[in-house]
Amino acid sequence: MTIPALTAQGLSKAYGSKSAVIEASLTLRAGEITCLLGPSGCGKSTLLRLIAGLETPDAGLVAAGERRLSGPEGVVPPEARGVGLVFQDYALFPHMTAEQNVAFGLRTLPSGLRKARAREMLEAVQLGGRGGAWPNALSGGEQQRVALARALARRPEILLLDEPFSGLDAHLKGEVRLWLTDALRAAGAAVLIVTHDAREALLMADELVLMHAGRIIQSGAPRACYLDPASPEAARLLGEVNLIDGVIASGQARTPFGDIPAPGLADGPAVVMVRPEGLRLSDQGASATVAQVRFGGGYHEVQVQAGQQRVHMHLSGNAPAEGQAVSLTIDPELAKVFPGLRVT
Amino acid sequence: MLALLASLAAVVALLPLVGVAAAALSGETAAIPARDILRYGATSAALAGLVAVLTGVVGSLAAWLVVMHRFPGRDIFAWALALPLAAPAFAVAYAYADLFDVAGGLRIWMRADLGFDLPFEMRTLPGAAFILSCAFYPYVYLAMRAAFVNQSAQALEAARALGCTPQQAFRRVALPLARPALAAGVALAVMETLADYGAVQFLSVQTLTTGVVRAWFVFGSLTSAAQFALPLLGAAALLLWIERWGRGGRGYENANARWRPLPVTSLRGGKAAAAAVFCFSLIGFGLLLPAGWLAFAFLDVTPDWPRLIQAGANSLTLATAGAVVTVALATGLALGSARVPHLARLASLGYATPGAVMAIGLLVPAAMVWRLAPGAAQGFGAGLILLVYAYAARLMAAALEPVDAGLSRVTPNMVHAARSLGRSEGGAAWTVQLPIARGALLTAGLVVFIDILKELPATLILRPFNFDTLAVIADNYARDERLANAGWPALLIVLIALPAVIWLTRKIAASRPGDPA
Repeated sequence: MTIPALTAQGLSKAYGSKSAVIEASLTLRAGEITCLLGPSGCGKSTLLRLIAGLETPDAGLVAAGERRLSGPEGVVPPEARGVGLVFQDYALFPHMTAEQNVAFGLRTLPSGLRKARAREMLEAVQLGGRGGAWPNALSGGEQQRVALARALARRPEILLLDEPFSGLDAHLKGEVRLWLTDALRAAGAAVLIVTHDAREALLMADELVLMHAGRIIQSGAPRACYLDPASPEAARLLGEVNLIDGVIASGQARTPFGDIPAPGLADGPAVVMVRPEGLRLSDQGASATVAQVRFGGGYHEVQVQAGQQRVHMHLSGNAPAEGQAVSLTIDPELAKVFPGLRVT
Repeated sequence: MLALLASLAAVVALLPLVGVAAAALSGETAAIPARDILRYGATSAALAGLVAVLTGVVGSLAAWLVVMHRFPGRDIFAWALALPLAAPAFAVAYAYADLFDVAGGLRIWMRADLGFDLPFEMRTLPGAAFILSCAFYPYVYLAMRAAFVNQSAQALEAARALGCTPQQAFRRVALPLARPALAAGVALAVMETLADYGAVQFLSVQTLTTGVVRAWFVFGSLTSAAQFALPLLGAAALLLWIERWGRGGRGYENANARWRPLPVTSLRGGKAAAAAVFCFSLIGFGLLLPAGWLAFAFLDVTPDWPRLIQAGANSLTLATAGAVVTVALATGLALGSARVPHLARLASLGYATPGAVMAIGLLVPAAMVWRLAPGAAQGFGAGLILLVYAYAARLMAAALEPVDAGLSRVTPNMVHAARSLGRSEGGAAWTVQLPIARGALLTAGLVVFIDILKELPATLILRPFNFDTLAVIADNYARDERLANAGWPALLIVLIALPAVIWLTRKIAASRPGDPA
């Protein structure tokens, strides 16, 4: 196995008595996009700043390839790390044109080459004619592309992006995502994208890292994380879930909404996690009552009640009526049993 | 490195203050009994109280009129109301004392032809309070104007929707919201009052600051001077605390609210005329009348041209050098204060400290250097360096404020971006922070420049022998009962300061929240 482009090991950082990052470890590989997903305030931005060298870790190591960046022996300052950064607010220098912004990090080059490289980078982000524009004359999307060109101009081996979609209108997100994925792949750097948007993370990531309350709780391929979450928190991070109180008895997890196999798990209480699309109407199954039906565009969102518990499901096609009795089954592929827990 | 620079700047500002305390408590026998210090202190307190009330009322009213109403001349008044900042308080004092002199032309004419006399005298405590208020009301006006302009239109509209008339909305919503700004503005005016030497000295009102200067020049006693200075230092700390508290009232401001135009009331007829007359009379009393009277009464006196020109050149050189040094130090302090946050606050103590106190405090460390190396620290150059040092220590905080404001336009992420693009901490400051704050640095420099032009007591105490500034020769003539000769230097100060003041106030008046500025 090749050496990862970046390794972070056991990174911790506290502000006063409040721990922001607790023993976080992750690796980035050249040419791969890793998405660090977590709710706001979970410490993911702090982790990014620790990797970039903008914060000094209390404990842990950061290495780029075999070069140590942070450790007990000291910390390499951000300017000497060769780590590119694209900020959430883009942080363009308002007193420089787009081209001057892109050329800012290239001062080791002679000025002719520097200009040429800046132009080339602006071409690459489809802003060829806008080099003379001031940042405040650029749209949000254009500013983001200048920020990306500025970070990539130095050909960093590691590129960190903080919430690249947060400043964009919803209808732009899809377009930017496709474009950004291509641009990042073309750059060949090891990329870490910090985001709280599960959908964007799933769609972009080669590798997904889930963070909750300062800790990394799971990492792996997006599909694996989605289908096999390590905990209810991990499941929640990646999209809507139903958490149902159930009971394990002789290798079956029983819930008011249907049963699923739970091979090898000890008998006792359990939480069963089911994605909304993992609940199906069927002829035979657990009986429940339709409490509410809402039209959600490509599907109906249906609330179903059984006993004291309620779940929501996404149904395409015709929806049942409110108050109607239905029977349900759970798709074991889109469900997971967490033994020994109760829904709180 | 920036932290080091900031620490250096803070030490510059604090050293003289430590010097004052050390000298006052040195235990040498004082030449002046405590009773006298108490009497001078009472005068200072009374004067400060009167100026606080006068400037508070007048400055707030002017700001409210200009921000919330439309009347003839309003757009000009918005910035012109700050113009009296160009006139040193002593020049205003010369003009009024002469104009309203009991034996002067105006009073003689009134007694003879009108049959009555004005019931007041300028060379008294109330007279001094009137004169200093004329000179210092712009501090309150500018603070209150900023508060009113920044207030949320929504809060006022909500008050109106809840049944308040515009006047009630002002009294019950706008004024309470602006209370911190009022405290800050009045604190500045009081600081200037306590620091004033030239005007009160000329008007024979004996304040602590005149005591400091007299103790030094008449009794030659550093200890006595420092004992006069110590209560001033205490007052300075208190005023600074009040001013900070006022600034801390930012919690009232709604930073997220989108800026919308304030509901402006159009004044008509008599009300509009009254508003315009009120604003005009402030500028008249603060600048036009005193400067006009000085020009009318004294400009036909042929000045000692070589001396005047030399003093003018000295003033310009000192003010420019002082501005450059002060802004450089303040910038270092601002850049580094993120690392060492309490330094900036400590350094601001210098601004509240009267120049006379600052000068006395500097004499203590200077005396030590003289004792250690008699040759090195003496002579012309050393005196000038001390003087520039005193200006920098006193005005650091005044420069710090615009510099801070300018640097706050640089987001932390811009600095981080520069770092991640290969610049060191200092490199990022040089390529990103300073260029973006360029305009603010100029503003800070002009503020310091104007203040040094008008500065008197510290210059008197620290200047090298035979080194005159415009303020010093004006003071010399006035003290020698040759007031007519003081006209030229006093007016020259106004003339030199005026363009800078106009530039500053127009810039302030043009800025509004929501502007990218």
